[in-house]
Amino acid sequence: MMKKTRLNTALLALVFVFVTGFAFAAGSAEETGDVTVNMFQLKVEIKDALDTYAADYSETAEGVTVKVETLGGGGDYGGAMKAKAQADQMPDIFMIEGQGGYDIWKDYIADLSDQPWVGDTDLSFIVDGKVVGFPVAIEGYGLAYNAEILRKAGIDPASLTTRTAYEKALKTLDAKKAELGIDAPVAMAASVAGGMWWVAGQHNLAAYWGGGLDFNDTSIIEMALNGKLDQDRFRQYAKYLQLLFKYADQNILLNGSYDDQVGSFAQGRTAFLHQGNWVDPNLKQLGVTFEIGYAPHAFLDTEQKGLYLFAPSWYVVNAQSKNAQAAKDFLTSIAMTPEGHAYMVNEAGMIPAFKSVTLKPSGQLSQALMDANARGGNYGVFFGMLPDGAGQNIFGPIFDLFAQNQDNLDQFIADMNRAVANLK
Amino acid sequence: MKQSRVVNVLFLLPCVFSFIMIIIVPFFFGLYYSMTDWNGISNVVTFAGFKNFRNLFSSADFLYSFLITIAYTVINIVFVNVVSFGLSLIVTSKVKRRNFYRAGFFVPYLIGGIVLGYIWQFILNNILVSIGMNMSIPFLQTSFLSLPHTVIWTMAAVNTWQYAGYIMLIYVASIQSIPASLMEAANVDGANYSTRVFKILIPMMANAFTISLFLTLTTSFKQFDMNLTLTNGGPATRFLDMPVKASQLLAMDIFNTATANRMAEAQAKAVVLFVVLLVVSLIQVTVNKRKEVEM
Repeated sequence: MMKKTRLNTALLALVFVFVTGFAFAAGSAEETGDVTVNMFQLKVEIKDALDTYAADYSETAEGVTVKVETLGGGGDYGGAMKAKAQADQMPDIFMIEGQGGYDIWKDYIADLSDQPWVGDTDLSFIVDGKVVGFPVAIEGYGLAYNAEILRKAGIDPASLTTRTAYEKALKTLDAKKAELGIDAPVAMAASVAGGMWWVAGQHNLAAYWGGGLDFNDTSIIEMALNGKLDQDRFRQYAKYLQLLFKYADQNILLNGSYDDQVGSFAQGRTAFLHQGNWVDPNLKQLGVTFEIGYAPHAFLDTEQKGLYLFAPSWYVVNAQSKNAQAAKDFLTSIAMTPEGHAYMVNEAGMIPAFKSVTLKPSGQLSQALMDANARGGNYGVFFGMLPDGAGQNIFGPIFDLFAQNQDNLDQFIADMNRAVANLK
Repeated sequence: MKQSRVVNVLFLLPCVFSFIMIIIVPFFFGLYYSMTDWNGISNVVTFAGFKNFRNLFSSADFLYSFLITIAYTVINIVFVNVVSFGLSLIVTSKVKRRNFYRAGFFVPYLIGGIVLGYIWQFILNNILVSIGMNMSIPFLQTSFLSLPHTVIWTMAAVNTWQYAGYIMLIYVASIQSIPASLMEAANVDGANYSTRVFKILIPMMANAFTISLFLTLTTSFKQFDMNLTLTNGGPATRFLDMPVKASQLLAMDIFNTATANRMAEAQAKAVVLFVVLLVVSLIQVTVNKRKEVEM
């Protein structure tokens, strides 16, 4: 008898919980105005800033609520997007990272050519003359250097504009390792094991695709997509890569993780770091106080001075959504209002791709990039034009193997020739 | 006791329904997609017959993953079963604090594969290397995970560390179910320890071997989580003159193919994995069953 009463009470409690739950859910749904714009994005590092901006925007915009969902870092964004598409829950704003993403989602991607921010940026995602992607930020890289170490070693970073200059500088650093207190001249990573294939097989290789060319010159990568490498140019590139490998900290190169690589530079145990401006927050966290700058990846026999700039991802608007207009307005507010600018630069710490933004980012590498952007003469980054998975599954192992056998330059060139021939 | 057919069906329905929807239907969908060119999202799905399967056997990365998975499975089966059998002998002997050991050996199994992979990666890449550097021991100075010919053995060793405790429990249970009188009789007849183990213990434990071999076989074939976090497929090596990832087991190869939006191809690989695993485990169970003895 006792038992039964207790069971009933439990059931009643359960029902109560459900009912109140539904009531609350219903209540909050009613509060939220007419239109809810769902945004699904993959940059974990800006989650808090973007959430705050979306909440502020929702308060001021009449009848519009912007909800941001973030999945990234180790998360499988592409997989989650597919699940959402299958479940008929496509977000109103989502992200693509290049041509591969565009090809998959093109049925859902709206034409943004008539948007007011289009004229204010060079980095929109453009397909067949139509603007379809809103550049999230500018990212970029060169070879970051520790100015103090170079000064002590008597190397002028401004002189690092040819491969010969690099060779001389790296030799000097290597000879003075003990005196400078460094393990090796370069913090470079290339290992499949450490998940660092992208530093070598994507970012460094991008020097070959775009280095020394006009910002929008895609001739070299288009040639590769047709199955061919420029042999002379590629050999010069391979020699530069070999140089970086030979003077790199070998443990970091062969199985180091991102933390190992960035940590070694931050602790002053290496003079150069092959990473982009996204390491600024990491360096800050690690308490870096020394002066840092960017030297170009000068791999050619001739002089190169530019850095590599790109928009790593773009926001696109779901063309099939009935909230498309509200979604477009939200993006416009990021690009065109002072609040949007403040969010991008001060809160999210990004370098905006829009020329009308006058705020300056706080990180040293971001500042170096912004200066380079103002100076001009930079190079485009085109690895996004490669087929999905090419960097990880095809080039990754080739670069890893070259890192293991650094003297085997011809084998590396032969492997790359064959891999590129298969891209066709 | 009368059983109503309707009630039986009603009680079974939720289970059967979810089983059909979650296992059976996707399975046949998967078979179908493996014969198409689907990229995982497009609404246009073209039937391609056995093209994906034909391509598999000319792609170096799949062939290598296939062979390395078999090698890993063999190494792993031997390592895990030898170690766990040894452990089970120890913890069923008269050694002091044997219950503590039983619990201790089992604990690694409770750690998730992902976490375990990261922990061992740190030990192998950082701790051992730094010991090697500071004590000048040359063979420790490069991580075992960075050499193509040691990486599979290292993975098997790590997996053994985790899985041996679990298999040990199966052996312990089996040893304890053998009547003590058998062992005593053998002892009286003058059989020494190793004779007792090999002539009585092992034949009497045949059913435990069936299940343990089956478990180690299937888990090694499907190994993924520890593979992903410990080695991520690296380092690279050369196979059929093509650069491939030295420790990329089949499950991870399937995963990487799928995340590159080549869903149909990944599905074809998964079908091959399924068929091979089915055939091999059926053979293993049949062979082992023949060795079992009735009491």
